[in-house]
Amino acid sequence: MNIDRFLQETIRKHMTLEDALPTKMPEYVNSFGYFFGTATLSSLAVIFISGIILAFWGPDWWHFTSVGHFTNSVHFWAVEVFYVSVTLHFTFKFFKAAWRDGRWRTWINGWLIWGISIFSGISGTLLQANWDSQWNAQQGKDAFNALGLSFMNWMNYTTVLTLHVVFFAFLIAVLVVAHLTFVRNESPVRPIVNEGKDEK
Amino acid sequence: MSIASDKNLKGIPMKPYDMVREGLIVFTAITVIVLFLAAFWGFPGKNYRPLTIKEVATKAPVAFLKRTLSYFDGSSGLQTYGPPYTHDYQNAQSIGPFCPACWLGVIFPLNAKVDLVMQPLQQIADLNPAVAAALKTYQQASPKQQAAWDKAYGTALGKAKVENGQVVLPATGDYGPVPVLMNGMLTFARAGLLEAALTFNTNPSMAPYETDYTRALFYLGGNIMGTVADHFGEDGGTWGMSHIAGPYPAAWWLWPYTFLYQVPAIGNLNQADLVAFVIWAGSLIVIMLIPFIPGLRRIPYVIPVYKIIWRDWYEKYPSGDPSKSANK
Repeated sequence: MNIDRFLQETIRKHMTLEDALPTKMPEYVNSFGYFFGTATLSSLAVIFISGIILAFWGPDWWHFTSVGHFTNSVHFWAVEVFYVSVTLHFTFKFFKAAWRDGRWRTWINGWLIWGISIFSGISGTLLQANWDSQWNAQQGKDAFNALGLSFMNWMNYTTVLTLHVVFFAFLIAVLVVAHLTFVRNESPVRPIVNEGKDEK
Repeated sequence: MSIASDKNLKGIPMKPYDMVREGLIVFTAITVIVLFLAAFWGFPGKNYRPLTIKEVATKAPVAFLKRTLSYFDGSSGLQTYGPPYTHDYQNAQSIGPFCPACWLGVIFPLNAKVDLVMQPLQQIADLNPAVAAALKTYQQASPKQQAAWDKAYGTALGKAKVENGQVVLPATGDYGPVPVLMNGMLTFARAGLLEAALTFNTNPSMAPYETDYTRALFYLGGNIMGTVADHFGEDGGTWGMSHIAGPYPAAWWLWPYTFLYQVPAIGNLNQADLVAFVIWAGSLIVIMLIPFIPGLRRIPYVIPVYKIIWRDWYEKYPSGDPSKSANK
């Protein structure tokens, strides 16, 4: 089998240039409900950009310089906006029954990202290097120990930092790319026909 | 378009679109919103720096000594915690035979008396001959004598007074060398050296690269950190990790999880953490499987919010089917 030919065929069938960079969209894509997915992705981008800047300069910088403090604030508020956006995103997707026509993998993939983001968020909290990090490490250890996850030592700063900026960030990035690929491959879900009476 | 899109969009009227342009507009808007929030409200952690052992030893010396004594005499909960720190498997959280902590075992063995008190005391003894002599006396005494001194000192601590920063015990009582040892720890902590010693002792061969702060973070655990957390309304009974110190929003997305701790039937259990997580994880799995669960997947049809989302479409095509427009 020629792998290149196989990949060419796969991409040609499942992700054409028109899918990746659409110049037209179904008429029903005409609601503020479609804004929240893009808002989620945008806030995630702000999280990544501000996080990369924080990684370069380190904890002393983000705590004790005005620019570092501001960048840290951007990272924090981007997370808040991310969760507001994603909550609205999945609420609208739910009320559109957006898993129809075989889109269940997009639905599951989205919730998987959300679940991983929770762990990523907790690791971020522990990296703040403030009272809340201290208290949450103390509190969180009981839950993680109970779950058999103590091998991820949440009180080792290097472990937490690496999990946060490499492992969770990588997982989220990969799953988001998969999510977008599914979405563009399948196109936006159609409006419900005949009040769903014809559907099981 | 892709095979799936061709199939899904068959018969659907299309309109011109520019995805990248829309994405850039939304990204810009979100960035402006975030910058605005950051500029006006800042980062909440700024005013709530870590609680240091030095701070506690200076401002609340009796609380510090009580905590230190609890490790020293073996009465702290940490000494019987169970896996991953001690072999007290009966204390591990479990639901029947479901005990993930037991399966993993004691992977971070911790002897609180030795690791949190005796090791620092040995280092203090290297600096202070009086502590060295007291330590020698204590170690040469019988376990029964040691326990009697510990108990007498612990009882006296309950009546101790702080005068000019010094902890003054009742004059009567046979405390042996324990007050000298405990004051040695207090002085060491007030000098700001205890966290560093605890971290160094975690693995001296890793110095200066050791970043496992388990011992330093544990030291103030229990009543001391609990008191501070109460002050900020952050204990488990008040939604714990889902909010933070100060008047700021925080991890509100953990509400579905921390809510479970507010239910007495769950929050008061010994295995509350395990039960809460199992319920939370189970709920997440159910949500993920909604597309396959007959009753749940019909909810969007029963609560027709979709009619509002696609109101323009339904105005044009009342049944939702584009082959049957309103004009026909």
